[in-house]
Amino acid sequence: MGETLNWQPDFEQLVGEHQSMVFSLAWRMTGDRGLAEEIAQDVLLELDRHLPHLGSANHARYWLRQAALHRSIDALRRRRRNAASLGTDVWDELEELHGVVEMDRESPLGVRLEQLIAALPDAQRAAIVLRYQEEMTPDEIAIMVRAPVATVKSNLQRGLKQLRARAEQTLKEFVRGS
Amino acid sequence: MDHNDGEHKDHKDMDRNEAEGNERASREMADFEGLLREAMQRQEAPLGLKQRVLAGARERRRAEQRPWWKVHLVQRIAASLVVVAIVGGFAVYQQGERRAEEQRKGEQAREQVMTAFRITNRTLGRVNARLAESSR
Repeated sequence: MGETLNWQPDFEQLVGEHQSMVFSLAWRMTGDRGLAEEIAQDVLLELDRHLPHLGSANHARYWLRQAALHRSIDALRRRRRNAASLGTDVWDELEELHGVVEMDRESPLGVRLEQLIAALPDAQRAAIVLRYQEEMTPDEIAIMVRAPVATVKSNLQRGLKQLRARAEQTLKEFVRGS
Repeated sequence: MDHNDGEHKDHKDMDRNEAEGNERASREMADFEGLLREAMQRQEAPLGLKQRVLAGARERRRAEQRPWWKVHLVQRIAASLVVVAIVGGFAVYQQGERRAEEQRKGEQAREQVMTAFRITNRTLGRVNARLAESSR
């Protein structure tokens, strides 16, 4: 309560503090660096308009995560609609984008994990990103994605299982290859 | 007694194997989660993102602080010019129409006066001719 009453938000400081979080969330959700940059810019500008309605630093962080997540999902839906009308597969496109962007990273397994995350269904990907990038608990994720906790836990388990199975395969191939 | 002991030992072994299996599975999952956390570190924001956001916010605030009559000044001036041009054009057109109407009416009046003159002239001519005849 005290924090809420005394909170004097500094927009510049908030942008500096959270820009990487907003950008990373959008990038992992969309798999497209350019689109993620656009989303991050829009979300941070929206923060400036919303600042008078936010009561604390935690509230601002929560609001930013939620806005970035929902904008990313909206952008993906728009892209899928466009892809469907053009007859192209968005996931092939995403895989390609991740492949290109992440090639210069140090760990091949890390690269592969990013690709595998991009290929997960939206709900599972959102749960995984919020859990492992943002270190949120299943309860917090459930509030953010407006879904029952059981659904979030199930999405996490299924996502993890899929990722692990595919990552092990990659790891074996990597070990065989080296 | 020996048989029971053996069975009991088998059960214990199975339980231990199962516990070890579970422990190994949860350790492997924990390792994988650690790997995932490492792979999912936040990415650096693109260069210039913060500057673009701050510039955008500054521009928005400036626009909000501008008095209402200064907002979109260029558009307002252009719209005003268009309105002035339309109204002025209409006034000029109406004035021209009025002048043409007056000119037409003037022409008609002149025609009527000329006709009257011609009739009078003709009548006077006839009167003159009769007077000349009668005086002869």
